[in-house]
Amino acid sequence: MAGRNILAQRLDRIGFTRDVRRIVYVYLAAFLVFAIGQIVHPGFAQLDSIAAILTVASFVGLVAAGQTFVVLIGGIDLSVPWVLNAAAILLVTSSLGEDGRAAYALVITLGMGAAAGIVNGIMIAFLGVPAVVMTLAMNGIMEGLTLGLSGGMTCDSCASYAPPVVQDAVHGSLFGIPMALILWVVIIAIVSFVLSFTTFGRKTYAIGNNVKASYLAGVNVRLVTLLLYTLSGLFAALAGILLVGFGGQASLGMGDPYLFQSIAAVVIGGVYVLGGRGHYLGTAAGAVTLVALVSVLLAMNMPDYGRNIIYGIVILILLLLYGREEKEE
Amino acid sequence: MSTEAAIERPKAHRLTYFVGQNIGLVLALTMLIVAVLLYCLVYWIEQQALPGKFELTSTVNNTMSLVLCGMGQAFVVLTRGLDLSIGGIMDLANALAAVHIKDSIGSMIGWSILILAIGAALGLINGLLVAVGRLQPILVTLATLSIYQGVAIRVLPQPGGSIPPIFSSVLVNPNQPTALVYVLVVALIWYAFRRSSLGVSIFALGNDEQAARANGIDTVRAQVAAFTLSGLMSGAAGLFLAATATAGDATTGNGFTLSSIVAVVLGGMNLFGGRGSGIGVIAGAFVTTMIVNILFFSNIDPLYQSFYEGLFLVIAVVLGSLISRIMRRRS
Repeated sequence: MAGRNILAQRLDRIGFTRDVRRIVYVYLAAFLVFAIGQIVHPGFAQLDSIAAILTVASFVGLVAAGQTFVVLIGGIDLSVPWVLNAAAILLVTSSLGEDGRAAYALVITLGMGAAAGIVNGIMIAFLGVPAVVMTLAMNGIMEGLTLGLSGGMTCDSCASYAPPVVQDAVHGSLFGIPMALILWVVIIAIVSFVLSFTTFGRKTYAIGNNVKASYLAGVNVRLVTLLLYTLSGLFAALAGILLVGFGGQASLGMGDPYLFQSIAAVVIGGVYVLGGRGHYLGTAAGAVTLVALVSVLLAMNMPDYGRNIIYGIVILILLLLYGREEKEE
Repeated sequence: MSTEAAIERPKAHRLTYFVGQNIGLVLALTMLIVAVLLYCLVYWIEQQALPGKFELTSTVNNTMSLVLCGMGQAFVVLTRGLDLSIGGIMDLANALAAVHIKDSIGSMIGWSILILAIGAALGLINGLLVAVGRLQPILVTLATLSIYQGVAIRVLPQPGGSIPPIFSSVLVNPNQPTALVYVLVVALIWYAFRRSSLGVSIFALGNDEQAARANGIDTVRAQVAAFTLSGLMSGAAGLFLAATATAGDATTGNGFTLSSIVAVVLGGMNLFGGRGSGIGVIAGAFVTTMIVNILFFSNIDPLYQSFYEGLFLVIAVVLGSLISRIMRRRS
């Protein structure tokens, strides 16, 4: 352990630590996927096609932001799919597609996401429920509540559209750049700043590296854990809002792909799953790589099952690559 | 060390000690009894009669898949891991059974064995990646889940195929609770496992990997074996799933990844490895089915089902850790 730290410190001075190298790899991987896409399907790397891919990646990226936070302390958030789905449905049912109610709907939707995260956090940090079990249960709880309260999406208000303000905000563009993408860039900047330059970020890494040591060093482990799960719930709800703004209407099961994709983005992004190492900059590139890969496969007319298989194989290969780097030291 | 302490204790404390040591199993069985009583109560209120043979048969038949894959999950959880690919292996087993099993004894037996072997092989792949590749179980099995599901959809793109009625009635007889025999078989498998050297290795590995290795236990072999067993059990669970549904669907197994974890947790098994009982997991699987039954007879909208499952899961875990904390403080 000590030798590893000294090595890391030395590399740090050169400014090219292993953690930085990992992030660079992910960006290279993203470029590689775009290059392959351009070869197999000329026109793939055109500007508007890239913008479309990045927009889709921004939804994954938002969910993965929350996932990155909890994975950094060695946790996991399996409640993402139905928190996201509940948020999307809550936004349309509470706003009824009216602009006048949009602000109110946004507040209660984000509040709902945060509340789900807070409950996760309290149970995990204060009552010692394993994160896997708690977030799994929360996923079921949100699923049951969403289905039950909306009568299986048969309620009158369920067919409402997202308020035009929200739709315009997601579909709009500034200087030719889609708004969803601009929002994501802002989020990337904020999350990266929080992780790298605030005490909260330092505490997060500290807990991920060693819970006991950080507790003894005066970190309020429980509070930080609670906040991180709250953030994850909040990001899932935000992604739900953007998705329903993008698609116009909510549907059941729209959150399902985001569990696998958010975890995949985190893994591809080089975040260490046992916590303490990794950065959202990597995760963001991971999300782009993943979505670009899916788009390439779609462009190649790859059927669904083939995509599933390739997804899995890519993650396994990346895991093996990262694992190997671990051993070299 | 702990057994010596038990022998020296006065008799009155021995029971407390036993309960404290096997708190998971005790809680799981208590929960099962409470669930069955509650089920009888709501059934009585609705039907003015007690549940009979038909209810027993359908409960056992519907729970067999979960008993099997829950037990598979248990082997992996004991090593401090988690197998998320269970649903994928069940999907593939289900799809293969629906496409290939024909109405002849040879085909039924041959394909059943082949499907079990495929399940074990897929588990072996998980195990090798985790133990030899030194990767995180959750991530490896999340990746293989995606692969196995993909292959399952390739085998059976649309729900369909068929399962010979004879095959169904041998596994899940709709008229007699013969499937209880299989529950007994699973319990016996657990007892054999617990007493085998493999069982000792897996428990030791889950308790303290370094200590296990220091004592000459081949931890890589133990981990690979645990995942292989999990794959084998999931294959069997897929066969039972196909038999209950009488046709194939390459997606019905998906939910079992989560339910298998629920069964393991309700069964009182420690998710941090090395502690727990397979008998508890069998009880946990039945509790899960009982919850569904109770909700059905209490006229609760089935749409709320996952809400209650999630709620009970949390309550069970919190109560379990609370009671075991109190027990430990006392003894």
